[in-house]
Amino acid sequence: MTEKQSEITEELASKLEAGTLTVDELHRGIDALLPQAGEKRQDILYLQCNNTSLQGEVIGMTMIEDGQLSEGPPDPKDWPYKTVLEAVDDGWRIISFPNMALLAVSESDPHGLGFEFILERFKDR
Amino acid sequence: MTEKKEKCADCAPTLTDSQVLEFCKQGYLLFKGVVPDEINRMTTKYCDQDDNSEPTGLLEKDWFIDNVILNREVAGAVRSLLGRDFHLPILISNHRMMAPYSQQNWHVDGNFDFGHELNYLQVFYYPQDTPLEMGPTQILPGSHLVRNKARFMAHLGGIAGTVSATAPAGSIFITAYQIWHRRGPATSEGRRNMLKYFYWRTTPPLRDWFVEEDFDFATVDYTSPIEPLVEQFHSDIKVAKMFLWLCGEYDKFQNLGGQSWPLPANRNDIPYGFPERLPRPASD
Repeated sequence: MTEKQSEITEELASKLEAGTLTVDELHRGIDALLPQAGEKRQDILYLQCNNTSLQGEVIGMTMIEDGQLSEGPPDPKDWPYKTVLEAVDDGWRIISFPNMALLAVSESDPHGLGFEFILERFKDR
Repeated sequence: MTEKKEKCADCAPTLTDSQVLEFCKQGYLLFKGVVPDEINRMTTKYCDQDDNSEPTGLLEKDWFIDNVILNREVAGAVRSLLGRDFHLPILISNHRMMAPYSQQNWHVDGNFDFGHELNYLQVFYYPQDTPLEMGPTQILPGSHLVRNKARFMAHLGGIAGTVSATAPAGSIFITAYQIWHRRGPATSEGRRNMLKYFYWRTTPPLRDWFVEEDFDFATVDYTSPIEPLVEQFHSDIKVAKMFLWLCGEYDKFQNLGGQSWPLPANRNDIPYGFPERLPRPASD
């Protein structure tokens, strides 16, 4: 729940306890609590790892947050997440797992940059 | 020092076995500040007058040919990697930018080949100081061993192991063409010229650079810095193939699997599977 949603909920609860909540106020409060189209913004996080595990080491990253592209600090030691699991713990949702079709690539040919997870997070505008 | 023959040239090779192997591992060699300041100034002045993306007229200037294209250290390295009578550049590109600017997408340049052969080299020349603030070229060492395509790389951002080729004026770096690279972001202000050109092999590969007496094909480490990013030992095998090809010994390459040569290890004998016909240092 966002800070704004908490405020609305508290206000409704207070008025209900005080016996002053009207039907109109209840309807408006519920409308305000429901997500409205266009009110959320999607952030995207690409994490390339050295294996398919959620605990694999992150070897590449790109983040699109608030519509801004970021590659993280130059030194990988300073990147926000060392594993995909850390990003999940921080509220990111995985929307794409590494493509197992990579197994079909030639046995002797390393290909591409690791195993790519794509994650999303929604924030209020 | 150097004999020009039509569009080809020859000179003394300058790299050692270890340096050639290092090129196979890294995919590039950087020569810092090897071009005299006066030539850097003349090049910059020329590029100010011919500011299009292909100032190929530079190749008509003797001072540019002698000090840049046939620069002793660089030409010696090119000679080591491409053999005698290597073909000289026929085109100069200038990635001329006015800072500040953002980084490019990661890419490999078009018309690449990810095999073990090294038949051409792409070379970059900075005529001005190019510190981090001036957006030097970024390279991923060892990535010449990892197949990719530019259009599949556009979403990549920070990559562990990336090197920014910061260097003083007059620096030249030579690369395996298919290495992953991009222009880095520039936060400073000013003009950056970055000239790119190409050399080709015209003769079969041969180990005719500086041979080290104690260089041992059996025990040298073939590990590339790209190793953490790919399947275990695959880069060692790629490096060994590339090095043997450069030595003219590729037909002797074999990989018998598991712990055999050319994997790195603390063994109690010559590595199993080491090709018998490869040279070994003379025993004491």
